[in-house]
Amino acid sequence: MIRLDGVSYAYPDTVRPVLENVSLDIGRGTIAGILGASGAGKTTLAKIIAGFIPHVDGGELSGTVSVEGQGMGDLQLAEAVSRVGLVIQNPFNQISGARYTVREEIAFGLENFGVARPEMQDRVGEVADLLNLGPLLDRSPYELSGGQQQLVAIASMIVLRTPVLVMDEPTSQLDPAGTRMVFDVLSTLRGAGITVVIFEHKLELLHQHADVLYVLADRSIVAAGDPTDILADAHLAEWHIGSTRYTRVARAAQKRGLLAGLRHLPVSLEQAVAVFADDGGAR
Amino acid sequence: MSSTVYVDRGSSIHRLNPVTKLVAMLCIIVIVFALPVWWVSGLVLAVAIIPAAVVSRCGRKLSRISATILLPILVVLFVVQGLTFPGGKTALISWGVFTVTSEGLHFALGIGLRLVCLVLASVLLVLTTHPGDLMSALTARGMSPKFGYIISSTLQLIPAFRDRANAILLAQQARGLSVRGSPLRRIKIMMPLLGPLILGMFTDVEDRSTAMEARGFGSTARRTSLVPVPDSSVQRVSRWAMPMVSLAVIVVPFATGAL
Amino acid sequence: MTGMHLRFEDVHYRYPAGVEAIRGVSLAIEPGERVAIVGQNGAGKTTLVRHLNGIFKPTAGTVHVGDWLTTDHDIAELAARVGYVFQNPDEQLFARSVQADVEFGPRNLGVVPEETTRRAEQALATVGLVEQKNAHPHHLSLSERKRVALAGVLAMHTPIVVLDEPTTGQDAAGIDMVGKVMDTLAADGRTVIVITHDMDFCAEHFPRVVVMTNGQIQADGDARTVFGLAQTLAEAAVEPPQLIRLSQRLGWGYSPLNTAEFVEYCARRRSERVG
Repeated sequence: MIRLDGVSYAYPDTVRPVLENVSLDIGRGTIAGILGASGAGKTTLAKIIAGFIPHVDGGELSGTVSVEGQGMGDLQLAEAVSRVGLVIQNPFNQISGARYTVREEIAFGLENFGVARPEMQDRVGEVADLLNLGPLLDRSPYELSGGQQQLVAIASMIVLRTPVLVMDEPTSQLDPAGTRMVFDVLSTLRGAGITVVIFEHKLELLHQHADVLYVLADRSIVAAGDPTDILADAHLAEWHIGSTRYTRVARAAQKRGLLAGLRHLPVSLEQAVAVFADDGGAR
Repeated sequence: MSSTVYVDRGSSIHRLNPVTKLVAMLCIIVIVFALPVWWVSGLVLAVAIIPAAVVSRCGRKLSRISATILLPILVVLFVVQGLTFPGGKTALISWGVFTVTSEGLHFALGIGLRLVCLVLASVLLVLTTHPGDLMSALTARGMSPKFGYIISSTLQLIPAFRDRANAILLAQQARGLSVRGSPLRRIKIMMPLLGPLILGMFTDVEDRSTAMEARGFGSTARRTSLVPVPDSSVQRVSRWAMPMVSLAVIVVPFATGAL
Repeated sequence: MTGMHLRFEDVHYRYPAGVEAIRGVSLAIEPGERVAIVGQNGAGKTTLVRHLNGIFKPTAGTVHVGDWLTTDHDIAELAARVGYVFQNPDEQLFARSVQADVEFGPRNLGVVPEETTRRAEQALATVGLVEQKNAHPHHLSLSERKRVALAGVLAMHTPIVVLDEPTTGQDAAGIDMVGKVMDTLAADGRTVIVITHDMDFCAEHFPRVVVMTNGQIQADGDARTVFGLAQTLAEAAVEPPQLIRLSQRLGWGYSPLNTAEFVEYCARRRSERVG
């Protein structure tokens, strides 16, 4: 579905590449989480998958990027964006500035693609229900709080029904309830066959929802695989990713000799319960 | 925070097609500037602008905003032109080296009334028309969406800019900057803000254009609009009739030698 | 830096547009306390703490910062007592270099130039940005910009520091660093008040937790007790920290706030069982 082969990239007028030899292979209808420390090149990778690099930002891009077998480099930007939706990191800047109500803001992309009015109304209503935006539809997008703007930004991309959705830290402004709602919506979208690539720091939620995790560090993908394996990886600290508290306590307990014989570090609540339950531990 | 001065009073003026209002405004401006006599402006004011303002129920806000724009200009205009108009012969009042001439005042009145018409008509349009509706209406008529975006985003970015400036000023106070004192001192405080503010806006614009493209802004599809633009056959006709009538009003006096 | 009491007395705040964001809050904070304010978006957390440095004045009730009533002082005066780190660093940074930005606060407070420079360098070292001191703030990453904003307030040496969501936009290393700063402030005896959605961070660094919903305080107490109030937390849409959820699932009847406490308790349980 989404394939990157040996992708390297340097921004215009810079020598040092931001990404080197990045390869990814993400199947249809999956949620792929990408972990990376601040400055690891996440935003750049997001823009490459969405076709904005090199279409808009220029620079030296080598390797191939394809979505559904179609090379993104061969497409016009307008075509590329109809296949891959991009939610940018700063929700304030995702508000177009061209529309005066949340309802119109969400419909903005549909208007650009020439979707007929009745269908537009249906789709806006649907996505507003999904993200609990009903009460905000007639407000000005600029009057909203950061968290509300972030939900509107997400809604305005979901409504386009692109087969792929790339999201750059889409829950940074949200409280835990809002964050969970967004992840639940992503799971729903996956059920409808949509592929989601999400750049996110919230490890516990990623473990619950992602099908596969990638680690971006040192300008390249340094680990990929099942979320449980990735989150228990001893190198996460080196890559400045951190780990869940479940993993941290298990590691500390192991050091104290409390969990002798433990083969897999727990990364989630359920796994930690199994490890620390009095009948399951090494007694 | 309000991003426009639009006030929804639901009047019949509000419900007009935005393009109809735009055409009317342009006709008014063209007429008053093409016919350089003060009573034309006065007439336009009396038969078009003031009645429209009354019907729109925005009269108070219209006069407040227009006064803030016009007063300084008019004061300068009357003082400068009244005193220094080159063709001034008939002295009305003399005070030392200053002489107010009737020709000067007359000239100032002519220019002043035209400015009043220009400002009132434009402010009335803005007060009664949601900028988003105006842009949708114009885009539906084939105006380039990019051009429409430049206009409407500029309208929105001004308040965003103001809010950002206020937020920064607040943060500066929170770090001990005192804003007490004369307005001049306040301006002095604001000056160093402009650089970072503008830089910040540039970064935002770049980011925003990415988000816009991601939502198909560069698409060549024929655009649709979520909110239908109101229109009627009367309006369709008047949008053609108004420029014709204006043209006649301007040309006829010249042709017949009345002016 | 002498200690300073903070006191909210039946504070109400109504926005000019009419929404009543704070609806009767009374809260006393002792010098040197570390308090986390938690709750959903829109619960009134930011509005409440902005009363401390006078950005908002109560529509009813009073706010005391030490012996000052906030209504008697403007924001700039209160800044000498209350340092406030805004959530969005872009609304806070405006100088042409990181160093100049951090020096802005102490300079306004009348600190002499050499001391200002010394403080700025120290604050930048605390947040790990010494190398970036000549950079333009706009060229830094979000996580770095947030840390510059933090340094700018640290350099003011105020007895009270208020932070609005210091960990958002930070990676793991950034969160650890912010945590260390919290501990350093506490060791200096300064009062620290934080608004956060990160409950793990909250449990590890803030002994006292205040839960807000709808402009009112729902719970206020030591972290262990508050995080044990399952019903209240659920109503406030606050999820307890990971370790407390784990201990609850294990049926421990004890709420560990950090890794050390968890492991300690776990060891004790096991040795009791064995013994």
